Amino acid sequence: MTTVLAPVAGAAIGLSAVPDPVFSQAMVGPGTAIDPRREPVEALAPIDGTIVKLHPHAYVVVGDDGRGVLVHLGIDTVQLKGEGFRLLAAEGDRVRAGQPVVAWDPAVVEAGGRSPVCPVVALDAVRDAVGGIAEGSVNAGDTLFEWS
Amino acid sequence: MAERRVSVTSEVGLHARPAATFVQTAAKASYDVTIAKAGGTPVSAKSILSVLALDVRQGESIVISAEGEGADALLDELAQIAAAP
Repeated sequence: MTTVLAPVAGAAIGLSAVPDPVFSQAMVGPGTAIDPRREPVEALAPIDGTIVKLHPHAYVVVGDDGRGVLVHLGIDTVQLKGEGFRLLAAEGDRVRAGQPVVAWDPAVVEAGGRSPVCPVVALDAVRDAVGGIAEGSVNAGDTLFEWS
Repeated sequence: MAERRVSVTSEVGLHARPAATFVQTAAKASYDVTIAKAGGTPVSAKSILSVLALDVRQGESIVISAEGEGADALLDELAQIAAAP
């Protein structure tokens, strides 16, 4: 069982509410999404593990059991080429769940015409493997879902 | 073993959207399908984690390989997804 933590504070809205079919149809994997509070924040590692991929707008943390969780900060934010994002860790770093990884401001992303919604996805997981999904208001570091 | 060598032209590389489509297509096969950067170690093309971790950027070449019934058609489809702008 892997407990996946909310990387940012906001409202847990479910993947189906993400304005991108690749996430809303769970093509990347099951999980949920957070509509973040519009304030500058530090996005956290969702699980203990190693940062195997770190982009300004998205990162993947893989636990020692090989399970990977993707956190995507906003939709189509790859197009920002890192502008407005500041890395607080490095690729290859070992992190604890709840450790800051990227500083960003959802309000700036939104002002630029993009959705700041953050999908949090269990990679290579079957849909049924994810349960206990939080709904509504969550604080950063709260349990977001369980991966059995 | 059939293989295709493709240059990734998408500005964002083989990331979330094209990667998910790519992996879903590869997962249809009952046999192993691998993806590697040119000269690199092959990883499973059926794993979104492996494909995201491979981190293929715009302009990089990849080699997709498979062996089995319909492998040629599958590789053609995968090559098309990977090469799409």
